[in-house]
Amino acid sequence: MTDAPRTADASVELRPKLVGQRIRRTEDPRLLTGSGRYVDDIALPGMLHVAVRRSDQPHARILSIDVGDAFAIPGVVAIFDARDIAGDIRPAIPTSRMDGYYATPIRPLAQDKVRYTGEPVVAVVAESRYAAEDALDQIAIAYEPLPFAIRQVDAVEPGAPLLHEEAGSNVIIARQFQRGDVDAAIAAAPVTVRRRFRMTRKTPVPMENRSYLADWDKRKRALTLHTSSNIPGIVRDVLADCLDLPGNRLRVVAPDVGGSFGGKGSLNHEEMLVCVLAKKLERPVKFTADRMEDLTAMSQAFDELIDAELAVDAEGRLIGLRADVIGDIGAYSVYPWTGALEPVQVVSFLPGPYRMQHYRGRVRGVLTPKPPTGPYRGVGRPSSTFAMERLIDMAARKLGLDPAEMRRRNLVTAEEFPYRTGSGIIWDKSAFQECLEGACADYPALVKARDAARAEGRWVGIGLASYAELTGIGSRIAVAPGMPINTGTETAAIRIDATGAVTAAFGISSHGQGLETTLAQIVADELGCRFEDVEILHGDSALVPMGTGTYASRSAVLGGGAATKSARVVKTKVLKAAAHLMDVPMEELEAGNGLIRARSSNATMTFKEVARAVYSQMGRIPYDQREDLVAEETYDPYLGTACASTHLAMVEVDRDTFGVTVTHFVVAEDCGRIINPLIVEGQVHGAVAQGIGAALLEEVVHDETGQLLTASLADYLVPVATNMPDIGIVHIEADLPNNLGGFRGMGEGGTIGAPAAIANAISDALSPLGIEIDTLPATPERLFRLVEAAQAGMAQDKPAG
Amino acid sequence: MKPARFDYVRAETVAHAGEILAAAGGDGKVLAGGQSLMPMINFRLVKPTVLVDINHIAGLDTIALDGGRLRLGALVRHRMTAEDGLVKAHVPVLHHAMKHVAHLTVRNRGTFCGSVCHADPAAEMPMMTLLLDGLMHTASSRGTRAVAARDFFVGSLVTALEPHEMVTAIEIDALPPGAGWGFEEFARRHGDYALASVAVVLERQGGHARNVRVATMGVGEMPARMDTVEAALEGSAMDDRALDGAVDLLRAAVAPNSDLNASADYRRHLVGALARRALADAWSRATETAQ
Repeated sequence: MTDAPRTADASVELRPKLVGQRIRRTEDPRLLTGSGRYVDDIALPGMLHVAVRRSDQPHARILSIDVGDAFAIPGVVAIFDARDIAGDIRPAIPTSRMDGYYATPIRPLAQDKVRYTGEPVVAVVAESRYAAEDALDQIAIAYEPLPFAIRQVDAVEPGAPLLHEEAGSNVIIARQFQRGDVDAAIAAAPVTVRRRFRMTRKTPVPMENRSYLADWDKRKRALTLHTSSNIPGIVRDVLADCLDLPGNRLRVVAPDVGGSFGGKGSLNHEEMLVCVLAKKLERPVKFTADRMEDLTAMSQAFDELIDAELAVDAEGRLIGLRADVIGDIGAYSVYPWTGALEPVQVVSFLPGPYRMQHYRGRVRGVLTPKPPTGPYRGVGRPSSTFAMERLIDMAARKLGLDPAEMRRRNLVTAEEFPYRTGSGIIWDKSAFQECLEGACADYPALVKARDAARAEGRWVGIGLASYAELTGIGSRIAVAPGMPINTGTETAAIRIDATGAVTAAFGISSHGQGLETTLAQIVADELGCRFEDVEILHGDSALVPMGTGTYASRSAVLGGGAATKSARVVKTKVLKAAAHLMDVPMEELEAGNGLIRARSSNATMTFKEVARAVYSQMGRIPYDQREDLVAEETYDPYLGTACASTHLAMVEVDRDTFGVTVTHFVVAEDCGRIINPLIVEGQVHGAVAQGIGAALLEEVVHDETGQLLTASLADYLVPVATNMPDIGIVHIEADLPNNLGGFRGMGEGGTIGAPAAIANAISDALSPLGIEIDTLPATPERLFRLVEAAQAGMAQDKPAG
Repeated sequence: MKPARFDYVRAETVAHAGEILAAAGGDGKVLAGGQSLMPMINFRLVKPTVLVDINHIAGLDTIALDGGRLRLGALVRHRMTAEDGLVKAHVPVLHHAMKHVAHLTVRNRGTFCGSVCHADPAAEMPMMTLLLDGLMHTASSRGTRAVAARDFFVGSLVTALEPHEMVTAIEIDALPPGAGWGFEEFARRHGDYALASVAVVLERQGGHARNVRVATMGVGEMPARMDTVEAALEGSAMDDRALDGAVDLLRAAVAPNSDLNASADYRRHLVGALARRALADAWSRATETAQ
């Protein structure tokens, strides 16, 4: 037995860091045992309920509103339309510095006109939701139907009926990104492929429906809004203007939020409505959407036509790409992102992670009488990746080149970073090539299996999709062009209180993705305290001076950076105090797992002891050197980080039913330093499921009369467990980005790669028939039509006799 | 999505239920599993004045074999049908069909008889009742009667059941020894209402098909027996030619609708493809029996 030297072994700096560990989510005991507290779980004394009468017309002038015998129903308290609240709230204006853009005003209730089926027109306030809905049955609204163009191809035409006359056009967004001379490049190219791609409209379908509860405190003349939002800070700031309330009398709280996927990431009509009504009636007012209302009127997604042409040389190297995109943005431009968010990102990200000189992407965002499109997990990139990755495969097929090799030749390599794309995005330090190789580890075996199945006459195919995105972006880059709000900074306020407990308060919020766990991991590592002593507060506008929320794969990067900065300042204060208390130089001290230890003497103090000395035992630290153990720091990554991935899908199409089964799925992704692999993998699984939904099942359908046909979950089909393959995940950790912590955002990626990979796999499966998938979802009906047309074409091509 | 006002009565006996339904004058609804009824009430698509809850009536939750027939009481849940030994042994085609019925929570509550009374054109129970020559036993304040499955289904969500009546049990055929069966269904997601489904029962005697029964659903206003297909296959050798002919006849016999999920053309294609699989399965499962 030997006495090993203790100095190195005892060093707390060598203990395993929490960042990188598979730590179980601290939220889950509460959320999984029914102890979560969502807005609808909150009941306040005297609370009233709102039910909303919605437009059944796509575009019409409101002539009259007759409430009939609604007030005869017991429990009905008040009925409002736009005229009754016009003086109580200003509309929210989603402004932007974009040229030629028109910002549609957003009001709680439709004023003069309705512009989509489902738009709120009349609000009934009653003692119960039952009574309020009974009253809705009594209300008669007379409309003068107005002409409309429900499809974007018609709505962009110069003579199309105008949805917002003040705009002068239905096209309220027009942008172009350009580099080089794409027309000449395409004209001279040996090989070109062109297609018009359609990514249909989707809806986010979070498990928790939208719910808003406003509470007016007459005594303080202050309003608290409890909202199922993932942007409580943004909602606070805009409502402060709309309602003329200062931030210290307007508090916006997002308690437990049951998913968003983007649907809770914009200001909602009903969110404004409950605030006005609570203030007017001086009673708490709650609105909880039912599933039909969320499917009808929550912000929706995508809905683009992408006409794109790609030119490659004889070796498959990309030369140029030109695209014309029409985004159907629905009836309003959402606050704060504007209707440009989705369609403009399509043309910014269309060139993908590839080396390509010439590019021109044009986009028009057009108003149609449908619910507004807003943020949706992946924003723009699911559509751009679908189009670009399809073109890559089409070109590879034309050249007889393997799709993996085609990508290998064109993905930007590490030596080329930083690389500026044709649309101006700068890719840096991201594992493009490594992700491709990671996803393709079993590729030769899968190709062999596919070929064997094909020899049996089965329709089996493999599809790849490579993409890159910008995550955790700082103040240099706007999430949406010309937006008036700041999305590039986040603040963390960390304090150690008199009991030694650590509270870290953030401007971000969590809609269920585990930020309470991951941020506590970072704080504990940086501060040296115990993980279980950290309490994370979020989703409350009162916590920090300015915060926005969670979106755009930003929370780990920005929240994590802010946590790191603040924790380091607090740690310095702790060590400074401990240095006095232990009578050793500060440089001798280190902190870990709740202990402060002197390297020289092995003397220790707990965080609790230090806190007690600082706050309660006056005199132990000289009064002029005593500092509260608090810090509030703001982090701005300025640029942001690239996040890259390659997805591989293998599918089989049933020759009889045209049903598609995803048999194999691999995601290789580089999300930088992984904070918690359990959570990262959960995000990948969930997002791939959502991408499978987009690829095979989900489609919001409005008919020619402007009515929504997918108003229930029996008609809007989301993926279920039986649609899910096992998902293989390959974590690639390349050169870390320059932000604090080296994290990259990864909450959205799965939805970006999966639709494209599946579309490529189906096209590969049907390649014996020459079929190219250009519309998602690839439903049995669509595949039946494509196969029927292909077989008819083949029959025609056969020589007579 | 809150229902309009209604009264609720917990019926103690079938006679009690009959009295309440009679008193409701046509505006009463029987509540058994409620898996279709409650959503329709919440959507205010139906506004009954009174709900007659039969869940506490004794003796309605049994499955019994009587002669060559199986009798399923009005409170037999899908879960019971799916797991019942008699069903598995004597009506394996129904046992298999249950794998396609909705999801666990729905199967725990939803009832066989309730699904038949709801008469969704794309639900399994109405088609199986038709395939197995079912007989609906009804009761009301005016007495009892029995309605054959072929007379029971009148249209989409419409049956021959009178508003004052309730179904107390449904009788279906057990399969004869050696009978072969096939069941094919395609839905966008497992457990959803079918885009099309085909069920087949037949016997094999001297290398020929006998007593062929073919039923479809999802391809018309109601589940249907394919009389022309059954007649054409009766006595056939079930070879490729016979099956091809049967598929053509079946595609000609159905009148599918176009809707959000599928066009009539696709449904017609699909039901034929499923029929070919189901017929081939039934033939391969059948064992030779004496004439």
